[in-house]
Amino acid sequence: MASGNGSVSMMDDYETLISTTDVELLKRAWRNEKAAPEILQYETALIQRIKEQIQLAEQNVEIFESNGIGSLTVSLYQMDLDRSQFLLRSYLRIRLQKIEKYLFHILKTDDQLNRLSRQEQVFARRCTDDLGSHLDETVLSRLPDNYQSVLKQSVTSEEDDMVPAPRLDTFVVCKARQYLSGLDFEPEYSTEIAELESDLLTFACYKFIKKPFEKGMIDLV
Amino acid sequence: MYARKGYELVKDFASGEKGQLQHFNEELFNQVVDQCTQHYTELEALIRKMQEESVDVRETRNADHYGALIHHLSLIRNKRCLMAYVYNRAEIIRNLAWNVGLELLELPEEIQEKFSDSEKTYFGKHSAALQSYMADLDIDLNVDMVPPKDPYIKVRVLHDMGEGILLSDKTANLARHSMHFLKRTDAEQYIARGLMEELTG
Amino acid sequence: MAGQSDCQLSVFSPEEIEFVAEDELVEIVPNLRMDSLNFICGDYGPFYPQIATQVPLWLAVALKKRGKCTIRPPQWMSIENLTQVLEGERDSHAFQPLPFHYVEISRLLFDHARDDIPDIYMVRSLIEDIRDVRFHKVETNLEKFTASSVTCKNMSAMEVNIIRAFAGRALEAFYKHENEQQVPDTDGIQDRQLQIPNDRPKRNLKPR
Repeated sequence: MASGNGSVSMMDDYETLISTTDVELLKRAWRNEKAAPEILQYETALIQRIKEQIQLAEQNVEIFESNGIGSLTVSLYQMDLDRSQFLLRSYLRIRLQKIEKYLFHILKTDDQLNRLSRQEQVFARRCTDDLGSHLDETVLSRLPDNYQSVLKQSVTSEEDDMVPAPRLDTFVVCKARQYLSGLDFEPEYSTEIAELESDLLTFACYKFIKKPFEKGMIDLV
Repeated sequence: MYARKGYELVKDFASGEKGQLQHFNEELFNQVVDQCTQHYTELEALIRKMQEESVDVRETRNADHYGALIHHLSLIRNKRCLMAYVYNRAEIIRNLAWNVGLELLELPEEIQEKFSDSEKTYFGKHSAALQSYMADLDIDLNVDMVPPKDPYIKVRVLHDMGEGILLSDKTANLARHSMHFLKRTDAEQYIARGLMEELTG
Repeated sequence: MAGQSDCQLSVFSPEEIEFVAEDELVEIVPNLRMDSLNFICGDYGPFYPQIATQVPLWLAVALKKRGKCTIRPPQWMSIENLTQVLEGERDSHAFQPLPFHYVEISRLLFDHARDDIPDIYMVRSLIEDIRDVRFHKVETNLEKFTASSVTCKNMSAMEVNIIRAFAGRALEAFYKHENEQQVPDTDGIQDRQLQIPNDRPKRNLKPR
């Protein structure tokens, strides 16, 4: 499981097998999304399942209420529902806020854009248009021609030097799900991080652990 | 000193309380924009001078070249300041949509009047984008901002909101000082706007 | 605009940490009969009077608030264990093993189930002492934060959160100083962008 593309799906299968609840998986996704400086891959299947479960639970609460099932039971089911809904909403919200923040950066590359759900992509495009025209109207259109780009300082800039991007050198707190050896990390960071014991809380630079993190071998805390 | 005004503009933003919007500083902002135009005029004049003197504009490193360079860099500096000012204000404005309300009219007047015209338009458009995302997903993201406790909470009404207010599970008469047992999701928006307070203990 | 760091997005609020802690399982003794609860977060019950069962803390507190159960304080909250932990904390630089959410769990129980905790004053003061010793340790540990990654065995959620922002910034700074040469200048003025835009061929200037 050290490398190769198979590991992600194997991990997922494994999670399903040991019957971690979807809420547990959502909580993990929520924590990771909250703690990671950049936007992560949208959990399409998981979110779909959670939405279905929430819908079902909502129907159940309604049925309980109309069947005169004790108000105690109903309120407990409602609390369970509320907890799942909070996680779902918070997860989606953090993502939208990241999208808002790193709009131009995300829309620049397919790698970033493909991490978004279909609806998030629509949102991101709209936001870019809106923010773009606001910046244009307020600042850019009033500057000399050569300085009107929202992405570049001036026409002589060789790359996009005006785009706010997430800082991958942010430090995060993480925990490996299994022992990780040097092979699991990017070779370029081999001097910074050589191994990670499983389950041991570690402060590390996000980019050092990005590779095993994206493969699901590490959780952010 | 060149680019001093731009610096003042950014400082004007940074001196405000974090997350709070100050008045859009139209006057200073326009001065910085004007400076940009001026820098460009002078930059162009220097380049023209070099061309007239038949100096190789591309290779020559004379006083005019460095003069032009300074104008260029000052202009960029000013541009970054202007952009930072508007961009960071836009961030606060987006947070208002999240934390206070999605309609411009929902915002307290003292906040509204700090917006520039373009910012008002931006707020409206951004709110619309958020709303259409939520409609697309059929999920309201402006509730549940903090983790849930018991679904019902006790609240006290701080400002008269009138009779027959439609809530998700009932209609209520939300008279000032009255106390209610409301669904948290119903009450949150009112609490955020300072119309109610939660009673604990 | 580029290169702003932002911790706001990445820090967990105390409420959020408590929310996560509320999923920890505790043992309750119900005083009512109730069918199984088939929650989204898992199945609990059925509940019978006087028969102990495991439920998440939030459920335990909800039942307790409504007078439907007593909560059995977890084993680690016994005076015997806490005394031992406190001694260990004082004698060693290492953090003693405690649940990741020991601060939140104990506070929730103190708030909602005080009558279920024997010798609550003693327990509470032991936990407060442990907390203080550990927080002090956290502070002194910060001095060791010079490497590019740091491990913290047995550190709890609240402790991690308290030092997250600070230590994160500090480590970033260390990292930057060590790699000063490679850090791109976010202003873009000091590097190769030294070109004047105009409708003429580009020219390059040396950095100052």
